[in-house]
Amino acid sequence: MTDLITGHVLVPVADPDDARATAAALEPYHPDRVTVFHVVEKGGGVPDKTPVEQSETLAAESLVGFRERFPDAELATDYRRDVVEGIIEAGDRLDVDAIAFRPRGGPRIVQFLAGDRSLKLVTEAEHPVVSLPDPGSEV
Amino acid sequence: MTANDEELAKDLGLLSALTIGVGTMIGAGIFVLPGQAAAAAGPAVALSFVVGGVISLFTALSASELGTAMPKAGGSYYYVNHALGPLFGSVAGWGNWMGLAFASAFYTLGFGEYLATFLPLPALAVAGVGLSEFQVGALLAGLAFVGVNYVGAKETGGVQIVIVTLLVGILAVFSVLGFLQADVSTLRPFFPAETGGATAILPATGLVFVSFLGFAKITTVAEELQNPGRNLPLAVVGSVLIVTAMYAIVMVVLMGVVNWRQLGPEFTTTPVLDVAEIAFGTVGIAAVGVGLLTFAGLLATASSANASILASSRINFAMGRDKLISDRLNAIHPSFATPYRSIAVTGGLILLFIGIGDVKVLAKAGSVLHLIVYGLLNISLVVMREADRPEYQPEFEVPLYPVVPVLGAVTSFGLIGFMDRIEIALSLVFVVGGLAWYLLYARGQAEKTGVLTQYVLSRSDEMPPAAVSAAETVQPDGGEYRVMVHLPTPDDERGLVELASAIAKQRGGTVDAVHIVTAPDQTALQYAADHAEAFEENYHETLDAAVRDGETLGVDVETHTIFSHRGFGEVFDAARDHEADLAVMGWDEDIHGSPGRAESALDDLANDLPCDVVVLRDRGFEPDRLLVPTAGGPDSDLSAEIARLLQAEHDAEVTLLHVTDERHEGETFLEGWADSRGLSDATLRVETGDVEAAIERAAADHTMVIIGATERGLLSRLARGTLVLDVVDDTDCSVVMAERARERGVFERLFGD
Repeated sequence: MTDLITGHVLVPVADPDDARATAAALEPYHPDRVTVFHVVEKGGGVPDKTPVEQSETLAAESLVGFRERFPDAELATDYRRDVVEGIIEAGDRLDVDAIAFRPRGGPRIVQFLAGDRSLKLVTEAEHPVVSLPDPGSEV
Repeated sequence: MTANDEELAKDLGLLSALTIGVGTMIGAGIFVLPGQAAAAAGPAVALSFVVGGVISLFTALSASELGTAMPKAGGSYYYVNHALGPLFGSVAGWGNWMGLAFASAFYTLGFGEYLATFLPLPALAVAGVGLSEFQVGALLAGLAFVGVNYVGAKETGGVQIVIVTLLVGILAVFSVLGFLQADVSTLRPFFPAETGGATAILPATGLVFVSFLGFAKITTVAEELQNPGRNLPLAVVGSVLIVTAMYAIVMVVLMGVVNWRQLGPEFTTTPVLDVAEIAFGTVGIAAVGVGLLTFAGLLATASSANASILASSRINFAMGRDKLISDRLNAIHPSFATPYRSIAVTGGLILLFIGIGDVKVLAKAGSVLHLIVYGLLNISLVVMREADRPEYQPEFEVPLYPVVPVLGAVTSFGLIGFMDRIEIALSLVFVVGGLAWYLLYARGQAEKTGVLTQYVLSRSDEMPPAAVSAAETVQPDGGEYRVMVHLPTPDDERGLVELASAIAKQRGGTVDAVHIVTAPDQTALQYAADHAEAFEENYHETLDAAVRDGETLGVDVETHTIFSHRGFGEVFDAARDHEADLAVMGWDEDIHGSPGRAESALDDLANDLPCDVVVLRDRGFEPDRLLVPTAGGPDSDLSAEIARLLQAEHDAEVTLLHVTDERHEGETFLEGWADSRGLSDATLRVETGDVEAAIERAAADHTMVIIGATERGLLSRLARGTLVLDVVDDTDCSVVMAERARERGVFERLFGD
């Protein structure tokens, strides 16, 4: 089981709690190299819904949270409107072997309002996308 | 952030910035307020708008300079907090936030009024409170706006620009058609007697000032602007000018077409639509005209409300960053990536205010609060210019300084005076509330002092004492570690400052350097302060040296000159006043001070130290090899702490010495003691025999001895010269003596020990 995810993995995270949970989910699979990825959501011509500075702080804190389990993890960020597009483009740019993420789940309406990101990522990515179960399940 | 990231983060151009300002402002003045405005001052109300524009222009210029110098989220609040400190920052932050909430409620209510013109909304009675159909519509709309922001739905890039262009276009057509229809005679008398003639202009400005609450909003997104040095002032000033012109024109058109008496709220809640009906009716498209203007009204009020909700969350973020409010309010939603709590709270307030229902009250409340903030903003500009910090480099500078900010402050505060008593009372309530918030909560949390406070304190000798003591009293306290160091003469200064700085730096705190100028009892202290040089030549020399050394060592050093009759005894009062965590003093004959008074003061001290105290016998400050003798007890805890801090700062070698007859127990004790105090890599040395002799022997190999007071009352005995610790005299190295402040319970205080 442990060699299932090797090589360079891109891990998109939204906030420090998500980072910790994702790190815990990823840990049993021991990837060689991890790049944590955070997209600062921009309005693109209109004010952003969250101040840029706050989003950047979030990215830095997410890396710290992730490094609790993966001390060598690196951080990449991007500023754009579309989060999923950013992840996919980063996968290309950083030449990763796979994208691993922790799907948010939640009620259907919440997923819809948030933009159906899990679905978009899985259907539009150009690299293999691995969905990580929470560590409580079988390893 | 790489240069690349910085550019990516800046995606708002001049047009976007302009439309943010114009889009927010247009909503109020033209679509919601003209009826009330006309009723307030008749045709002269067009002048009220112009006056409002002029007042806004001063503040707009000041805001532009501050915005280009400090492009940070939070805008006006941030400038006030940075310049005037967290006391005024609390007032500005709450004022801005509440002002936006009132304004949002006002816009949303306006939206409700337009909604009611074509939707059959019911009037409701909820829990004994009657809600008009406008309020019902507003509540529904309010929920929708807040919901959209909560979920973080993003407008597509150009929508804002399209909206505003559309609005301006519709209004232009409306103005032209209305102008053709206008009958200038309805504009006379220009200053009608019923409203009070010309005296009604300024109170009406107070009412309509809410129409100008949008230009400052551009500064809240300053960090996202491209080329802010050029675009920010253009957008801010430009939007004020454009909007003022539009208001004046539209108001004249409105009152030219329909007699101003018929525009008032008793006749219609949507005067614009009535005029549109007539104006467009002349070319046979009355229904189209009404439809267009209704659409424009909905669009304008919606965009204003939406923008205000967005701006309020930025203010919350900025306040949280400065620790003026709990950061929990700024939590980001895990799925929607929005500051959902802040949005929810603001939304709740808006819905509550909609319940109040009266458009006029909401408008005036919003205006008053913003006027306070604008006044403070202008004052902030003056402070920043006077303090002239090197990091203050605005790309745009206000013309005709100081005329512009002074006029801005005077007119902003002055306009409040022209409003009704209830609004003035409301403004006072908020100012007092903001002050109370600071004094009761924020002061213990905030760490940053304003430029003003720093300016006053750094020149504390030149400033009137009332100002200095005021600045010191309201200083935030934020749990920062303060080391107070008493510097009697320039000769001893270096070693003391080095010790104090090492401790402060490791603790991430500051150093408070204090110099006492003693005046004889017969001399009034104020006289002494004014003629300091006569009592002590070059009295500032010691403190200047301290500041210089502090800079070299990388620590912030604040200085205070204290004028006192008591000499040395003053040090502890100072430590208490400045809430120092640690006091550092030199040990030499001078600290004896005058007998009698000093003795009794020191007696009290023996039992009631204001903080931890450390006394340095300086024989050259070389913290290379530290010796820490210990027999346990709270004072050696303090010496262990100091040893640890010096070890971290200067990479010192530490030896712990314990003298006991039971060698084996001694070693066990010392090992455990060392481990629990973070000194597990220290050399452990256990010896037997006479304590003082052992210490002297060990001290020969070390450069500094750090010893805890063996009994209470170290200092009083030091001062009286009755301290019997030969080690201090007999060694060649520097000696640091430490005594920990003891907590005395009520029982102890009443009945002694």
